[in-house]
Amino acid sequence: MTLGYRPGQGLLHRTHPLTTAALAGAVSLLAFLLPGELAPWALVAGLCALALVAGLVPVLGAAAAFSAPFWGFLAVIHGVFGHDLGTAVVLAGRITAILTVFLLLLASVHPGRLVDAMLARGVPFGLAYLLAATLQAVPQLQRRATAILDAQRCRGLRVRGSVLRRLRAVVPLTVPLVLGALAEVDERALALEIRGAASGTRRTPLDPPVDGPWDRATRWILLAAVAGVAIWRLWP
Amino acid sequence: MSVQLERVSFRYPGAAFDALREVTFECAPGCVHLVTGRLGAGCSTLLQVIAGLAPHVTGGSRSGSVVTLGRDPAGSERHDLAGRIGLLLPTPWTQLSGMAYTVAEEVAFGPANLGWDRERIRQAVDEALRLVALERVAARDPRTLSGGELQRVMFAAVIAMDPEVCLLDEPAMELDPAGAEALYAHLPVLARERTVILATTDLDRAVSAAGRVILLDGGAVIGDGNPAEILGTPRAVETGATTTVARIASLAGADLTYPLTVAAAVERFSR
Repeated sequence: MTLGYRPGQGLLHRTHPLTTAALAGAVSLLAFLLPGELAPWALVAGLCALALVAGLVPVLGAAAAFSAPFWGFLAVIHGVFGHDLGTAVVLAGRITAILTVFLLLLASVHPGRLVDAMLARGVPFGLAYLLAATLQAVPQLQRRATAILDAQRCRGLRVRGSVLRRLRAVVPLTVPLVLGALAEVDERALALEIRGAASGTRRTPLDPPVDGPWDRATRWILLAAVAGVAIWRLWP
Repeated sequence: MSVQLERVSFRYPGAAFDALREVTFECAPGCVHLVTGRLGAGCSTLLQVIAGLAPHVTGGSRSGSVVTLGRDPAGSERHDLAGRIGLLLPTPWTQLSGMAYTVAEEVAFGPANLGWDRERIRQAVDEALRLVALERVAARDPRTLSGGELQRVMFAAVIAMDPEVCLLDEPAMELDPAGAEALYAHLPVLARERTVILATTDLDRAVSAAGRVILLDGGAVIGDGNPAEILGTPRAVETGATTTVARIASLAGADLTYPLTVAAAVERFSR
């Protein structure tokens, strides 16, 4: 299960990066605004259909894998102890919808294209880079964690077995993961500075995405949907 | 002179001692300036001070005067130096922009940040990739490259920005012997029109490219001159900053100055 960008030519890959980002924002808001226990799950169903059309079905597996611990946790807290399974269903649906839409964003929008799209809209490079780098943090940490896990296994660390044994394995995995990431941040800062990232010059977009009428219309529809539902739900 | 240092000292934040102590020298185009010393001597710090990254990015305190291309690189005019100073770090994977899906985009990252037009960027990228013989991987994801290929890509990324000062910190660390030889063979060509400062402990290979050696120990310059003068001496052997051939010559009790390369040894001892 690999997170991050997956090359492709599907519907979401052809979509303007800001449209996909707008979809992610809209789904996140609608998951909280729409009424009813099943409303967030309806969003999940819609995202599943979108993933199917866009050729990103493997992303659904990743979304389920990430959401499953939350489902279990919520079922125990609200279902078993709180005797309120409805709340557990709503919260689980919201979490699943938000995770799914952001994993679809990660898988279909290359960070470089997202930066180019934001630059074309006048967003400063530093902010655009920060947003794109934040989206990349998860797949980068995943790759690093895999490498550390392999290295520690070679050195005799056993990560399978009882819960206690798994918990013991957490420290030798997380300490090098965190320390390595921090050290890399320092070096990356040096490299970015010297490569002109803070030059103050307007960056040339290398491959600016085309913002067609379909994209613009989609973004307006998403905005209208969020605004409409917000007014409907929040208006006194 | 494109690089001038006058009694420069530098201390990292929280450090108990100076990483550089009273360093004074000047550099200009014409030859490769090789900076070397034992590990921890301050070679990498020196390059970062010349680039202005220390203390601007690293933090810490600097004293003395640093003038790179006529400006203090850590001062308020540092934006004027964007793209005019290139720095290659020894770990290529930490230099990836994270914004590029292909090698060509990675090399183009710097020129794009400088606001060059797309045609100029394309030409610079093509030339840089041709220089490191990696045109065939231009469309590959940089994260799928080997360490050696990635280091060559990052070297190309530095060259693509057409810097006037090239600071190379262990540029052959990830390269195979043939790749390292090719890189070092190119540096004197690069140094004809640019200031090239090479920091390395890979002296067996790098010494043939160097026109001048600056030897550091404990952050201070303890030798500055032509390679034979500086590295072919007992002092260089003592500090561990010399070539294998010079060490063997020292152990064999050869007369000073020690030969630095196999070719020099053959010429000396076959007489």
